[in-house]
Amino acid sequence: MVLNGLLKTVQKIYLNHNIVLLMILVVLPIGVSLFTMGMFSSQIVQHVPIGIVKQDNSRLADRLESKLRSSPVLNIKTICSDMGECEHAVVRGEIQAFLVFPNDMERRALRLEAPVIPVYSSGQNYLTNMFATKEIRSVLAAAGSEMFTAQMEDPVKVQIHSVGNLKSNYQGFLVLGLVTAIFHLAAMIVGAYVASFPLRDHRVKEMIGYAGGSRLTLWVASVFPMNIVLWLESLGCYAYCHRLLAPLSFEEFVMTAAAQLFMIAACSGAGIVFVGVFGLMRMATGAAGIIGSPAFAFAGQTFPVMAMPFAVRCFAFILPLTHVLMIQSTMMLGDVDMNPAWHSMEILIAMAIFWNILGAFLMSMRWKQHVRLETKREETAKLEAQA
Amino acid sequence: MIKRLLKVAFAEWKLIYTDPAAVLLLVVAGLIYAFYYPVPYIYQTVSKVPVAVVDLDNTAMSRDLTRMASAAQQIEVKSIYTDMKEAEAAMARDEIYGFMVIPENMEKDIRGKHQVTVNIFTHGAYVMFHGAIGTAFSTCALTVGATNKVKQIALSKKVPSAKAIAMRDPIPISIQTLYNSTGGYANYVVPSVLVVILQQSLIIGICVLGGSRAHRRFRKKMRDSPVENETAEYRYFGRSLAFFVHYCSFILFYHCIVYNIFDFPRRGELLPMVVFSIVFLSSVINFGMVISQIFLRRETSMQLFLYMSIPVLFLANFSWPAYLMPQWMTAISYILPSTFAVPAWLSIEQMGADIYDVAPKLYQLAVQAIIYLILGLLLTHVRDKAKINAGDM
Repeated sequence: MVLNGLLKTVQKIYLNHNIVLLMILVVLPIGVSLFTMGMFSSQIVQHVPIGIVKQDNSRLADRLESKLRSSPVLNIKTICSDMGECEHAVVRGEIQAFLVFPNDMERRALRLEAPVIPVYSSGQNYLTNMFATKEIRSVLAAAGSEMFTAQMEDPVKVQIHSVGNLKSNYQGFLVLGLVTAIFHLAAMIVGAYVASFPLRDHRVKEMIGYAGGSRLTLWVASVFPMNIVLWLESLGCYAYCHRLLAPLSFEEFVMTAAAQLFMIAACSGAGIVFVGVFGLMRMATGAAGIIGSPAFAFAGQTFPVMAMPFAVRCFAFILPLTHVLMIQSTMMLGDVDMNPAWHSMEILIAMAIFWNILGAFLMSMRWKQHVRLETKREETAKLEAQA
Repeated sequence: MIKRLLKVAFAEWKLIYTDPAAVLLLVVAGLIYAFYYPVPYIYQTVSKVPVAVVDLDNTAMSRDLTRMASAAQQIEVKSIYTDMKEAEAAMARDEIYGFMVIPENMEKDIRGKHQVTVNIFTHGAYVMFHGAIGTAFSTCALTVGATNKVKQIALSKKVPSAKAIAMRDPIPISIQTLYNSTGGYANYVVPSVLVVILQQSLIIGICVLGGSRAHRRFRKKMRDSPVENETAEYRYFGRSLAFFVHYCSFILFYHCIVYNIFDFPRRGELLPMVVFSIVFLSSVINFGMVISQIFLRRETSMQLFLYMSIPVLFLANFSWPAYLMPQWMTAISYILPSTFAVPAWLSIEQMGADIYDVAPKLYQLAVQAIIYLILGLLLTHVRDKAKINAGDM
């Protein structure tokens, strides 16, 4: 009886050719995740457009230029006649940086006067600026060391390794987090939608009828399928994105999967709470959007949480995304120590329970209220028809 | 004519402030985001990141290198280990975000003119930490290397130290960061995001209010009002005018108040800013008017555009260069006003570009505005004639 009611309600909610639900539950989360992965498909920054102001037309200047040209990170797009021309090119967004080979550079270098080569880079392009200046520095330092001390090795060589992301690729740095953030938002939006469309369409009585008069059955039929579908999608997208990094062990996979499940449960629960509070789909969706859309900025993957003000750190703490990203980043380090991940997992479980209990309570009240309203509506309609 | 237009605009403006969903999107979102988004980055840069040093050499030179690392502004050396596993475990516990391994016999090898490799390990999940830790540790290690190389040059070539320094690095470079001299993260990210916020909230807001369509179902009581029964052109331009004026005030608010509070660079000249505001808002409003004719329900646009917020941000070409994206994605990005508006706004406001510098981007925005205007008017006529029973718009 209960199972029958449950299945019937699930069918009515999820298999009723509701195109909007299909879009927000399946098409958009997967589509947007794959699209985001595709944007970073080149993985590393290459061919950063730069300019050169060649005040010195010596052999040294030509040699430096050809060395810069041979770097895969840089792309010499323009040779400017003066600094103003290059500066305007930066303002127009045609180049990201430019360097000046000063007058008499070769002559002064040979006389050991160490002529300084100024490099101007645009601070408005943080990422490309970082890569371009690093590459320019290393190319020019290598060229300089060949001039007088070609036989002499540098005493110290430095190698930087990014643990868990050996190639320092941006699918590892950013997209794993972005995909999780997309599902963080998706769970809130879908939670708000599934809980509010019976209210919007005045179908609460009908839905409770399918559920055999049980509000608990209606809640289970509303919440469980969306959580499972979103969780499976997020796992699939995460695994697809993770293929470029070191493979996860079974334990790490279970940990990541569990974290994503509790995040989705907590976020869909929060979406339901918004419906319980506002009672309107557009208000609940708006609230979910205002909190969920910028969540990635607060979660600490692009800008560390430790460098944020205290109040913002508190806000970051209450976002499930922050804890999932912590678990995901711990899993990137390999099987060293799982204990910190367990702490984040406990927080996620607590969040999932809290938001779902609160959501169930508020929705139960809303359903009661709407059943009364719908009954009154039907009675009024009947009376009008009789009249 | 103007009176009729203003009447429609005024009615729409009134609706913006009386419909709770419109208030949330068109007023509250724009205000809240202006403060909510920049606050995490208020300290602008990452400093004192907890790190460790694994000293396998334990000599005077390795201790010098550790001291140098401790003095670096970006990092804070929390522990010194003698075993790499201890550092790995500390990184897994999130106590540190990176460590430097000073190899065994470093001092001996350097004195014996053998090259040594100093390995730096950073947490693979955090891009900012990777940059900060890598730069700080490598600067220290390379300084130790440079000092020793200068000594070697001075001794082998029998030259004074000043000449040895010049021989080691005969063409030194000096890096100047333009338009963001402090290298602040907020200066880089927030101005671009503000433009995207304006675009997204305006498009969703227009869709929630049904664009320019006649007889909006959610305004049942107003169905007979003369304003709702105006001709399509008056409805279109009148309502567009209301959104335009409303969002002009937001641009002014961001420029005069938000930029001042958070101390973002503000180099915008009046003419390019005015032209930018006109073409950007025209393009976004017309785009919103087109999109609003597609949906049957008020909330659907919200659901769609909230999902799109992350890709829209990255397609705007400020954080990940467009030339590194697949071409078909770049082609898709041309649909969105933000693709041209974000670089144009950064050029004007952050870099002080004149009208000639940003003209190509403003032309592209203007072309978008014209195309969407034609489409919007066309779709409004089609929608007005169509009989649709479902939905609330």
